Amino acid sequence: MKRRHIETLLLLAPAVIFLGLAFVAPLARLFSLAFTDEAGMFSTFSTLIDSEVYRRVMVNTFLVAFAVALITVLLAWPVAYILTRLKGFWFAFALYGVLFPFWISVLVRTFSWMILLERNGPLNRFLINIGITDKPLSLLFNDTGVMIGMVHVLLPYAILPLYGAMLRIDQRLLLASDGLGAGLFDTFRRIYFPLCLPGLVGGATFVFLLSLGFFITPALLGGSNAITLSMLIASFINDRLAWSLAAAGSLILLVIVLALLAVTARFLPFGKGVYAR
Amino acid sequence: MSKTPLWLKILAQGSAGLVLAFLCLPILAVIPASFNKASFIALPPLAYSSRWYEAFIADAEWRNALLASLHVAVIATLVAVVFGTAAAMGLHRADGRWRSLLTGLFLAPMIVPVIVTAVAVYRSALDVGLSGTPVGLGLAHALLALPFVVINVGIALRGVEENWLRAAAGLGAGPWTIFRTVTLPNITPGIVAGAIFSFITSFDEVVVAVFLAGYANKTLPVKIWESIRLEFTPVVAVAATLMIILAVVLFALAQFLTKSAGRRTA
Repeated sequence: MKRRHIETLLLLAPAVIFLGLAFVAPLARLFSLAFTDEAGMFSTFSTLIDSEVYRRVMVNTFLVAFAVALITVLLAWPVAYILTRLKGFWFAFALYGVLFPFWISVLVRTFSWMILLERNGPLNRFLINIGITDKPLSLLFNDTGVMIGMVHVLLPYAILPLYGAMLRIDQRLLLASDGLGAGLFDTFRRIYFPLCLPGLVGGATFVFLLSLGFFITPALLGGSNAITLSMLIASFINDRLAWSLAAAGSLILLVIVLALLAVTARFLPFGKGVYAR
Repeated sequence: MSKTPLWLKILAQGSAGLVLAFLCLPILAVIPASFNKASFIALPPLAYSSRWYEAFIADAEWRNALLASLHVAVIATLVAVVFGTAAAMGLHRADGRWRSLLTGLFLAPMIVPVIVTAVAVYRSALDVGLSGTPVGLGLAHALLALPFVVINVGIALRGVEENWLRAAAGLGAGPWTIFRTVTLPNITPGIVAGAIFSFITSFDEVVVAVFLAGYANKTLPVKIWESIRLEFTPVVAVAATLMIILAVVLFALAQFLTKSAGRRTA
C-alpha cells in the first residue's frame, strides 16, 4: 500500500512541479507587481478605476461579452436542436460542421473575417448588390466586427452544452405533455425550455467567460476603436512598459473570471471530453 | 412534440443550415484569397495564380517562421505528453480530495485567460533569460497543452480494467513491466490524441507567442499577426491556408485514432 502511494506521488510530481514553476509562480510574481507600485500599495487599482478611459474599456468589455453570449445562445439553439433530431450521415455532417471551426486557429479565422468584412470586401458588395445599402457599411474596426468574429469563434462552445442538455431530455415527457392536451408552445415553455436551461446557462457562461479574456479577435477586428480589457493589458506592457498596471488589470480580469466560475461551476462541462481539444 | 409540425421542422432545419454555413464557410475565404494574382487581396480574385505560394517559399522570413513553429511545437508536445501522461496516471490512482484538487490545478491553464498567462509567463521568462528562446516558448506552450493530454489520457485510462493490472501483478510482473505491457498499449491512442492536440495548440498559439517569441524566434502565427497589421498581401492568406491544411490533416488523424481505439475497448 505504501509503495503504491510513492508511485502515485512520483507520477504526479513532474507535472505539479512544472505547473508550480512555469504557471503558479509566474502568476504570483505578476500579481505581486500590482501591489508594489511606487505610488502606494493599491495605487494601480485606483488608477484603473478612477480613469474615465479605463472604466469605459471595462464597461465595453462587459457589454461586448454579454452581447456575444446572448447572440451565440440564440444561434446555438437551432443547431443543437437539429443535432438531437438528425441521424446517420446528416448527423455526422452537422456535428463536423460544428467541430470543424474548433480545429482552425483563431488567428486564421479572424483573418478570414478581415477579408470578408473589408470596406470593399465580398460582404459589402453583396449587401449593395441586393440593395440593402447603397454605400459600404463599416463592419471592421468597430464593435460590429468584434462581435461577428467573436460569435463565430465561440459559437461551438454554446452549441455543445446545449446539445448535451437537449439529448438528456426524456422524450416521453414531451409525449405526456402532448397527451395531456398541452399545445406546442405550452410544452416548450413548461417542459422543454426548463430542461434545456442547464445547458443554456452553461454554454452562455462559458462563452461570456471566454469573451472577457479574448485578445486576438478584438485586437484585429476592433482595433483602437473597440478596446477590451485584454488589449489594454497588452498595451500597458508593449506601449508603456507599465508592468504594475498590467498586473493590476490581469488580476482584476482573473478575479472576475474565477468569481463567475465559482457561481456557475455546476453548469459547466469541464472534463466531459467534449472539450477534449 | 411527438408530431412536430412541418413549419417548425423547416424553420429549425433552415436556420440550423444557415448557422452551420456561418460557422464553416467564412473560414474557407482565405483559400481563394491565397491564389490572388494581384498584390492585394481581392475576393473573389480578379485573376488566379500561385505566385504568392512561390513568394512564401522564397522568403526566408516565412520559411524560418514555419521552422520555428515546428521546433517550438515539438518541444511543447514532448514536455506536455511526458508530464501529462504521468499526471493522468497519477490522478487515476489518487483518491478523493487530492484527485479533484489536482485536476483543478492541471486544468487551470485552460481557465485562466490566456492574456493573463501570457503576461505572467513573459515577465518570468524575462527574469530568467528564457524570453525569445524556442525552449522558453515551448515550455509556455506545454503549459497550455498539458490539460489536453491529461484529459485524453484520463479518458483512455478508464478503458484499462483494474483486473488486468491485478492479473499481471499476480503473474509476477513488476510495475514497469505492467505499464509497458498492459497499460501503455491500451492508452496509446489517448496519448497520441493528446500529442496531436498539444502540437496543434502550440502550432496555432498566438498570444503567448507574441510576447515570448522575440525577434529571432518568430513563429508562423506571430509572423502572420505582424504581417496582417503591416501589409495586407495574399502571402498572409498562403500562410493561413497552410495552417488550415495542417490542422485538418492532424485532426482527421486524431479522430481516426480515437475512433479505432473506441472500437477496440468497446
